[in-house]
Amino acid sequence: MDKIHTFCSMLCLLPTILLSGCAPNVVITPDIALVQSKDFSVSGKIDYDGNLEYLPRTVSTESHTPPLLTLRYRYDVSYGRDSVNQALPLFNPLTIVGFPIGADTVVVTAKLEILKGSSQVKTYSSVCVLDKHRTIFWEGETMSELRKSGLLAVRNNIESQMYVDKDLLIKAGMQN
Amino acid sequence: MKNYWKAIISFILISSFLLITGCASLGPVYSKVDKIPDNTGVVYLYRPSSFIGGGVSYDVKIGDTVITTLYNGGYYPYYSQPGEKEFWAKTESKSSVTLDVRSGQTYYIKGTVGVGFFVGRPHLMVVTPEIAEKEIAKCKLIPKEN
Repeated sequence: MDKIHTFCSMLCLLPTILLSGCAPNVVITPDIALVQSKDFSVSGKIDYDGNLEYLPRTVSTESHTPPLLTLRYRYDVSYGRDSVNQALPLFNPLTIVGFPIGADTVVVTAKLEILKGSSQVKTYSSVCVLDKHRTIFWEGETMSELRKSGLLAVRNNIESQMYVDKDLLIKAGMQN
Repeated sequence: MKNYWKAIISFILISSFLLITGCASLGPVYSKVDKIPDNTGVVYLYRPSSFIGGGVSYDVKIGDTVITTLYNGGYYPYYSQPGEKEFWAKTESKSSVTLDVRSGQTYYIKGTVGVGFFVGRPHLMVVTPEIAEKEIAKCKLIPKEN
């Protein structure tokens, strides 16, 4: 009976062990607490031509003309090389027990510049590194999904940085 | 005895046919496009020749549109409208990369085939021009009809 119990426990533990290494490692800099509040935004002329989903929600278009501030948002995505030779997992007996067969790395950097005329009022930047391993049982997120996660993470991080400076930005007369 | 030889010959012929059907007649060796059309960027999809997974080919798509079938040792220049574009390929698992395509810019996506349970798995990755220019040099053009 004990043997059956041990066998069942092992059977339950095995998928847990195999899947535990599957979630991507995410490191974001600067490491600050995430603020969920959406009651604050800085308005001005937005200088950004990418997907609006990735633009920090703490910036908005100025309704008055001409706008006092320019809000320039830029991001960059770079990809790491998969250094695992494809011949290796083919002949590696550990592949069948979930040994990694490859790795994907995505690095997302973002920068928000708040400009008044040609002078810089404030700059916020954030870097997110996402790293995950692939196994024969689990491919995990695609590069596109990792990229999206990274872009949303840097967006949220910059929003949180701006909330920290909320009083400063209000004093500077930049709040809506 | 006669039947034995007949079975062997049939096996060889069928195997050869199956192997050849995975190949494609590729065009000339890589050369950079002379001019990128206005309001487009060019994305080179390439797959360096490799013994591992050499017989496996897969379609590379944007949305539901097939751009090309990526063969071993082939490349295909794709002219893309500017914007966020997701390129993906699938056999028993899916691989995808997303690019922010800008007018007049050149991008490189490398495809490989990795280990799978029943069939090789596609793996797409964005490669820097410095590395890609070396790897793509021996690749041959995949005809548009493919």
